[in-house]
Amino acid sequence: MYWNRREFLKNTSTAALAAMAGGIPLTNLLTSCNKKNLHSTADTVILLWMAGGMAHTETFDPKRYTPFTKGMQANSVLSTFKPMPTVLDGINFSEGLQSIGNVLNKGTLIRSYMAADMGSILHSRHQYHWHTCYKPPQSVSAPHIGSWIAKELGPLNPVIPAFVDIGQRFTLGEGEELKAFHTAGFLGNEFGPFLVPDPSSGLESVQPPVGMTSARFEKRNELYHDLISNSPIGEFGSDYQKESLKRSMEQAYILLRSPEAKAFDLSLEPKHIYDVYNTGKFGLGCLMARRLAEQGARFISVTTEYEPFKNWDTHDNGYTRAIDMKKQIDGPVAQLIKDLERTGRLDRTLVILASEFSRDMMVEGRPDAKVPEQVIQPDVIQDIKNYGMHRHFTGAGSMLMFGGGIKKGSVYGKTADERPCKTIENPIVIDQVHQSIYHALGIAPDTNYVVEKRPFYTTPDGLGKPVMELFA
Amino acid sequence: MTTEKAFWLWEFLGRLHPLAVHFPVSLLLLAAILELFTLKSFQSKFRPAINVLILTGAVSAIISAIFGWLLYQHGDYNGQILKIHQYLGFIMAGLSAAVLGMLYLIRTRGGLIGAYRIVLFTTAIGVSAAGHFGASLTHGDNFLSSTLPWDKDYEPVAARQFNLAAIKSDSAKLTKQQEMELNTDVRAIFAHNCYQCHGAEKMKGDLRLDGKHMAFKGGEDGAVILPGNASNSELYKRISLAQDDKHVMPGKGKKLSSTDIALIQFWINKGAPWPDDGKQVIFRVAKLEPRNPALPAATSNLSNPVDLWTNKYFAKNNIKWANPVNDHIYLKRIYLDIIGLVPAPSDFDRFANDTRANKRELWVRELLNRKDDYAMHWLSFWNDALRNDYTGTGYITGGRFNITNWLYQSLRNNKPYDQFVKELISPTEASKGFVAGIRWRGVVNASQKNEMQAAQNVSQVFLGLNLKCNSCHNSFISDWKLTDAYAFANVFADSTLEINRCDKPTGKYVDAGMLWKQLGTINSKASSAEKQRELAENLVQPADGRLYRTIVNRIWAQMMGRGIVEPVDVMDNAPWDQDLLDWMAFNFVANKADLKELIYQIATSRTYQLPSVAFKEVSFVSNPNYKFRGMLRKRMSAEQLTDAVSSVISPVFVENDMKYNPIDKALNKDNVKYPFVRASLVANNEFLTALGRPNRETVATSRDSQANLLQALELTNGERLTAVLKQGAQRWQGQYSDPNLLIKELYSRALGRLPSEKEFAVAKKSLGMSPNTDAIQDLFWAVVVSPEFQIIY
Repeated sequence: MYWNRREFLKNTSTAALAAMAGGIPLTNLLTSCNKKNLHSTADTVILLWMAGGMAHTETFDPKRYTPFTKGMQANSVLSTFKPMPTVLDGINFSEGLQSIGNVLNKGTLIRSYMAADMGSILHSRHQYHWHTCYKPPQSVSAPHIGSWIAKELGPLNPVIPAFVDIGQRFTLGEGEELKAFHTAGFLGNEFGPFLVPDPSSGLESVQPPVGMTSARFEKRNELYHDLISNSPIGEFGSDYQKESLKRSMEQAYILLRSPEAKAFDLSLEPKHIYDVYNTGKFGLGCLMARRLAEQGARFISVTTEYEPFKNWDTHDNGYTRAIDMKKQIDGPVAQLIKDLERTGRLDRTLVILASEFSRDMMVEGRPDAKVPEQVIQPDVIQDIKNYGMHRHFTGAGSMLMFGGGIKKGSVYGKTADERPCKTIENPIVIDQVHQSIYHALGIAPDTNYVVEKRPFYTTPDGLGKPVMELFA
Repeated sequence: MTTEKAFWLWEFLGRLHPLAVHFPVSLLLLAAILELFTLKSFQSKFRPAINVLILTGAVSAIISAIFGWLLYQHGDYNGQILKIHQYLGFIMAGLSAAVLGMLYLIRTRGGLIGAYRIVLFTTAIGVSAAGHFGASLTHGDNFLSSTLPWDKDYEPVAARQFNLAAIKSDSAKLTKQQEMELNTDVRAIFAHNCYQCHGAEKMKGDLRLDGKHMAFKGGEDGAVILPGNASNSELYKRISLAQDDKHVMPGKGKKLSSTDIALIQFWINKGAPWPDDGKQVIFRVAKLEPRNPALPAATSNLSNPVDLWTNKYFAKNNIKWANPVNDHIYLKRIYLDIIGLVPAPSDFDRFANDTRANKRELWVRELLNRKDDYAMHWLSFWNDALRNDYTGTGYITGGRFNITNWLYQSLRNNKPYDQFVKELISPTEASKGFVAGIRWRGVVNASQKNEMQAAQNVSQVFLGLNLKCNSCHNSFISDWKLTDAYAFANVFADSTLEINRCDKPTGKYVDAGMLWKQLGTINSKASSAEKQRELAENLVQPADGRLYRTIVNRIWAQMMGRGIVEPVDVMDNAPWDQDLLDWMAFNFVANKADLKELIYQIATSRTYQLPSVAFKEVSFVSNPNYKFRGMLRKRMSAEQLTDAVSSVISPVFVENDMKYNPIDKALNKDNVKYPFVRASLVANNEFLTALGRPNRETVATSRDSQANLLQALELTNGERLTAVLKQGAQRWQGQYSDPNLLIKELYSRALGRLPSEKEFAVAKKSLGMSPNTDAIQDLFWAVVVSPEFQIIY
C-alpha cells in the first residue's frame, strides 16, 4: 500500500471538513488550500491549442506582405499573406482567417504574449511551461492547468470527466516530453486528463468495449454485482480500498451508459454543422469540445497536435503549410464561438486560442539573444520551401480569448511593424494568462497545496496577477 | 474592518452583547422546561410564569441580536463560526418573537398549541446552540473539548524536551542543560506559530523571532521580550490575550495552548535563556547514530525479534495479539510481497498439505530464492525510487541514462545495500543514471541543476531528507540552510556552484561537504568522481544510522502498508516505535545489509501474520497518533495486478513489449522460461498509468492507492484489458468444454479457492450450458475487477 503526498493532503481537507462540522474554524488547521467563494465570470474553459509555434505575423498580427518571387531578399519578408480586414475597424488578420475575423467582435485579441526565455527555444519545455505555469524541470510533478481546475471546481456534471484532452497522440516524436505535463502531477491521477487522441473515435472511450452490445454490457455489470454480493470477502468488512474500487467502478458504469456520454458521439450532430467543423481532427475536436461543454465538462483542451516538424511546427514550407493550418482552424473556431453564443453558453465559457511561442523568418528566440540550433535560412530565397516563418520567436505572440467575462471586440497589446515585430505595448506572460483564467473561474490566487511540506501554488509563489483590462 | 472611529455608544452597546445574551438563553430555556410540565394541561399553574418568561426572553433575544450586530460592526470577527452564530442568533430572535405571537393568538383565539410548543422547543435549543457558538468565538472553539482526555489536541505536542511540571518552584536554578531544552522548546513554539509572519520571509512589525539577536532587538515598537519580566513583555502580553481580541498573537490561526503560553512565560521569567552554543534544534530531528536497544526476552511463543518488539509495544498500548492469518491469506501475501505474483492453485494445495511445523519460514525462503521473480518484482519499487524508466523525458536528447541492467542484476544477486548505495552514488557507467539525473536542454532553474538534483535525490531516497526547500532558500521546515544544500550539491559538481537564492546569483560559494559533518569530510578540491567516492564511503558507514533506518522503514512500508515512520521520505518524523526501528536498522547492518534477510525477518514474524487492518479513511494512516495493530490492507500495484491477469487468464504483454530482457543477460543456467512478460519489464502505457505506475521524471517513493474514475474506465472498457480477456476466453473455451470445470478453474486460479455454492450458481447462470467466448470473457472481467482479486487481505 502506498501513501502518497496527495493522500496526506486529502487527509488535511477531510479533517478540515470534519472540523467545519465540529465548529472549528478552518484557519486552525494547517490548511492545504484556500477555498473561498469568489466571484466568477466563467464556468468552463476551452483551450484551442496551436501546437508547435504559430507565427503571429502569419495569423492574427499580419505585417507588410511580400509575395513570393524567386531571388527575393529573405529579410524583406514580414508576412507571406495579405492582410484581410476583420469585423473590427482597423484590425486585420492574415488571409485565410476571415471567419474568425468575423467573430472578433465577440472576443479579445491579444498581440503581446511573451513566452519565457529558457535558453534554447524548445517546444516541449515551452509547452510544459504554458500548460503548468512552471518551467521544467521541477522537483515535484507539476499539474496541468486543467488538473488544477478539475481539482478546484470538479466537473459541472459528475458523470463527465472534468478535464478532457482532445487530439494529442503520445506515440509521436517527443511523446514522452508531452506526457510530462499532461498530468495532474501531485494532485493525483483522479484529476488527470481524460484523453481522446482522435475525436472521430472518441465515442469508443465512453461506451461499452468495442463489439459489446449494451444488453451484454448490462448483463456483465449485473454479473459483477451478483458475484460481489455473494463473495465471502464480506466477512472482512468494508474498507477504504474496497469502497474506493467499487465506487469508481460504479462511476465508470454510470458514465458509459449515461445520456451525457452521447456528447462524444459526433454523428448525432446535424450534417450541415458537422460539415463546418469537419476540417480534420482539430475541427472535429472543436465540435466535441462544444458538445462536452454543453454536457458539463470543466476544462477541455483541443490541439492541432504537436508532432515535431508537422502542423504548426513549420521548419520549412512555412507559407504553404500555414495555408493548410488556417483551413483547419478558421471555420471550426468561428463556428464554435457562434454555436456557443447561439445557445447562450459563451457568456460562461472562456475560449482561449494560444500557442507556446511564435515564429519569425530571421530571428531565433529573442531579438537580443542569439540562440544555437537555428534552422538554416538563406538570405536570398530561390525556393518556395524557404518562404515562411521557420525560426522560433519568443518576443511576441498572438492569443484569442472569447466569452467567460472577456471584453468583446477588443485588442490588447501591440507589436512593432518592422522586424523583429516584437511586443512594444502591454506584454503579457504566462503567469498572467493563468491567473486571468483562474480569476474568470473564481479560483483564489493563493490556491495552493502543501507538497513535501512546501506550498505549491497555481502560479509560481501565488504571485500571478490577472490582466484586468481583458475583462469586460 | 472599520477604519474611522464610530459613535462610542454603538460600540459600548455592542460590547454588552456577551452580557445580554445570557437572558434569552436562560429565560427561553426555562420557559421550555416549564412548558414540559404543562403538556397534560395547557392552562397549568405555570402558565403565567411561562408567559412572562417568553415575553422577557423574546425581548432580550431581539435586543441581544441587535447588540450582537453592533459588536460585529466594531469587532474583529470573522470566519465560519461567526457566520453560523450570526445566522442562528437572528433566526432565534425571529423565532422567539414568533413564539410570543403564537402565545398571544392562543390566548385570543385558541388552538395552535402544538405548533406553539414545537416552535418554543426549537427556539430553546436554537438559542443554546447560538450561545455555544458565541462562546466558541470568545473562548476558542476547543475551550470545552480540549479538557476531554479523548480530544486529539489533548496530548501535548510530542517530543517536548523540557518538563515544566518537574521544576518544583519558580526560584529553582536551571541547569545549562535545562536552559537549552527550555529554549529549544520555546523556539519550536515560535517556529511553528510565529515564523510565518516574523521570520526571514515576512517581518510583520519589523519583528523577527528566528534568531537570538533579532528576537531580543524586538520590532518597530521596541523590545518584545523583557528577560525576567514576562508580564511586561509585549510578546507574552499579546499571546495571552483572549482569542477574540484583535491584538492577540498569532494574528492568524489558533491561539497558543495554555501549556505553550505557560512555557513562554516561564522562559521569560527565567531570564529568557538563549544559549549561543546550544545546538539549533527547533524542528524534530531524528538521531543520526545507530542504536542497538536491548532486545526484550523471548517468550514462550515468540522468538522473532520483530515480534518481541511488537509484543512490548502491544503491552504498552494495551493491544492484544490477534490470531495469525490462515494459510491461504498468508501464502497470497508472501507471494505478492516477495515475488509480486499470485500463487497458482497447485501452490495453494502444496502449502495446505505441507505438514512441516516451520513451513511458513521455509516457503518464504524458497520465494526469496526465486532470484528472477524476486528481481522482477522489486525492480518496480526501485525504478520508482531511482526514477529509472525505459522511456521518458530526456532520452531523446541523450540527457538521461538507463540503469536497468545494473539494477536488475543487483537485485537478482541481492547486492548488499551498502554496496548498492555506493555504486549508485559513486557510479560506474552502468549505474550512473541516478546521480546524473535528467539533463534538459536550455537553461534550468539553479535549484534544478543536475548537481542539485543529485543532492536532492540522494538525500530523499537514501536519507529520507527533503533538501528541496533549502536548495532555493533557507528552509522554514527544518534547520537546513541554503549553504548546506550547495555544499552537498558541490560533491557532484566539477566546479563549485555559485549559490543562487531563489534563482538569483549571490556571488557566494561554499565548499563541497557532508550534510552531517560527523560522517566525515569531502576533499573539495578533488574531482567530482573522487568527491562522490568519498561521499559514498562516508554515507554507508555503520555510523550513519539514518541511511539504514531509511531503507528498513521503506521495506517495512512496502510489506506492512505503512512505515514505522511516515511519510517514508521524512525520516525526522517520530516513529510509532523507536526501539523497533533502531533495532531493525542495527541488525540489518549486522546482517551485512542483506535486503533479503530483512524481508525474511519481517515476512516470518507473527507481526506480519496479524490480520490486515481495514480502515475507512486515509486519515487513519497519516494520523500522528497512529497505533500499529497489523499490516494495513493493501491493494495490488499496477504491476501486481497486471501480472495476476497475465498468469491467471492470458498474458497482457508479448515479447515485443519487453524493454529489458533479463533472460538473455542473466546467467540462465537452469534455462528458465517465463510464461509471460512481467509488467516491470515493459514501457509505461495507458493501462499501467491508470493503475498508478508513475511517470518517472521525479523520484516516487509511494503510489496512489485510491481507485478513480479514469482507472475504472480503463478497467471497464480499456482496449488492452478487453483484448486480453477476449484472447483468454478463446483459449479457455477450447480447453474447458465443461462450464462447471471452467468456473472452478477460474476461481482456483484467480482467488485460490473454489466458488461458494451461490457464486457457482451465479457464474453458471451467466455462462449457460455451452458457454461462448463472450460469456467467458464477461465472467473473467467480473472476477478481475472484483475487490477480492485486487485487494491483499
